[in-house]
Amino acid sequence: MPYRLQLKAGKFKEAVGRINPTHAHALPFIDLPNAYVNYFGDGGLNDEGLSLSWLLPNKKFYQELIFQATSGRSESPSFMQSQGNRFVYLGHLKNFFTLNDNATFELGITGISGPNDSSLVTNIAAGDFTYKWKPVKMNTYKSLTWQSEIYYSSAAYTPTVSKKSFGLYSFVDYQIAKRWFLTGRYDYAQKPYDKNIIEHAYSLTAGWDATEFSKIEIEAKTTDYNNQSRFYQAWLRWIFVIGAHGAHQY
Amino acid sequence: MKNKSMLFAVLLSSIFSAAHGGNIKVVTTTTDLKSITELVGGNKVSVSSIATGYQNPHFVDPKPSYIINLSNADLFVTVGLDLETGWSPSLLSSSRNSKIQKGSPGYVDASEAIGLLQVPTALNRGEGDIHIYGNPHYWLDPLNGKVIARNIANGLERIDPSNKTFYETNLQAFFQKINDKMVEWQAKMAPYRGSKIIAYHNEWCYFEKRFGLEIVDFMEPKPGIPPSPSQLVKVIKEVAANKIKVIISSPYFTTSSSDVVAKQTGVKELTLATSTNAFDTVKDYFSLFDYDIDHLIAVLK
Repeated sequence: MPYRLQLKAGKFKEAVGRINPTHAHALPFIDLPNAYVNYFGDGGLNDEGLSLSWLLPNKKFYQELIFQATSGRSESPSFMQSQGNRFVYLGHLKNFFTLNDNATFELGITGISGPNDSSLVTNIAAGDFTYKWKPVKMNTYKSLTWQSEIYYSSAAYTPTVSKKSFGLYSFVDYQIAKRWFLTGRYDYAQKPYDKNIIEHAYSLTAGWDATEFSKIEIEAKTTDYNNQSRFYQAWLRWIFVIGAHGAHQY
Repeated sequence: MKNKSMLFAVLLSSIFSAAHGGNIKVVTTTTDLKSITELVGGNKVSVSSIATGYQNPHFVDPKPSYIINLSNADLFVTVGLDLETGWSPSLLSSSRNSKIQKGSPGYVDASEAIGLLQVPTALNRGEGDIHIYGNPHYWLDPLNGKVIARNIANGLERIDPSNKTFYETNLQAFFQKINDKMVEWQAKMAPYRGSKIIAYHNEWCYFEKRFGLEIVDFMEPKPGIPPSPSQLVKVIKEVAANKIKVIISSPYFTTSSSDVVAKQTGVKELTLATSTNAFDTVKDYFSLFDYDIDHLIAVLK
């Protein structure tokens, strides 16, 4: 398309921050952050619609503005298809800075508005922050990623009652050696329907690239609620790569 | 005399290009392609490379910042043969630049008409990270540099036909310098033809064939698979049995496994330049071979 525009039509993972557009197998943990699941569900925002993005003519750093309109047919805790065919609208601004050959920094902001299960409107504002250190010369041996996202939701449940809530996650993923990764993550989440129900969670994931085409991961997680007892979880995941696979977002 | 004049003209145009940059904006995937493009394009081109010279070209991270240059490029030059398959296609499509997409006049696959080595007859994940079209490290044969330069000149002439004579003149000067340097390089390597060596990764087959070396084995048991204890034992035996003097590697591989073999056998370890700008003294495509040949000879003596 002209004017540095790009148009996509069909089903796609929507441009909310960093986790939602990424395939689950490419994330450095097995479960998803509590706040993300509270707002978007385990499947995330993955819906049919149109996506228009514009690469801003900025030669200093990378800037991309994305606008998406989706049907809401793939229901999530925050959004669903309305009877009046009102779409879910999303805007995302991505800013990517190269600090030096080995380090980069990304800052993104997102706004989403769409119908919810009360046939009223939910508005979500989100921000993402990612710092990556990856030495160019030895980029297959050592790397570090610090990534965080915050979400703020305002959901109308009746014409007069609107529930506001907040959540975030922050993780550090460190590549110990060529085939070994360790990820520690903290989650904070308020329930979208009641901000007084609060979750704090800590998780640790170890990943091992068994071969270039398979990866084994193990994760342990503990979650504290302010209204119930501590909760423990553990997962094991074995990923196989079959066939060609394009690059994931950096 | 004519050749010297041509070389002088190319040198002058290269200096001018470095100082001012030309109107034709070129993005290459590697520094070798950048060097050759600058030699052929002279002061008509302004060239940037995505990968650095000391970076593993298989595993370049597709940073969005690379898209800025790609979105403004008139010509894109790629090694091809799936060397950059993990990163270059996504960058190209994100550039929104129709001039440089595959099949467009501004897209140059430098591997066209290269005589390929190690084209697999059967494909199997069990063989490691093999390349289905053949070994893609073909720029490490200087004579393949002439094929690369021809492909780049063709690309420049497609998008800038008014300067065809200029590009052809520079191309012929490049050919002549390769021919002259080949005489020098072959003479230096002549006493060491048939020398047996170990390499870390299977990326030296074109260099091996051109200069008459014999790579007995690799530190990696299979391409892309890190050295295993059993492979180290095998290599240690091969070094002793063949009186091998050197293990060659690249700037982007660790030496920990070669260190083990060196400690056990006394074999020397040598990190060679796999691309232009791998080290400070490797300033262009010609000095890449100057560096590698001089350092190799020093340990084979």
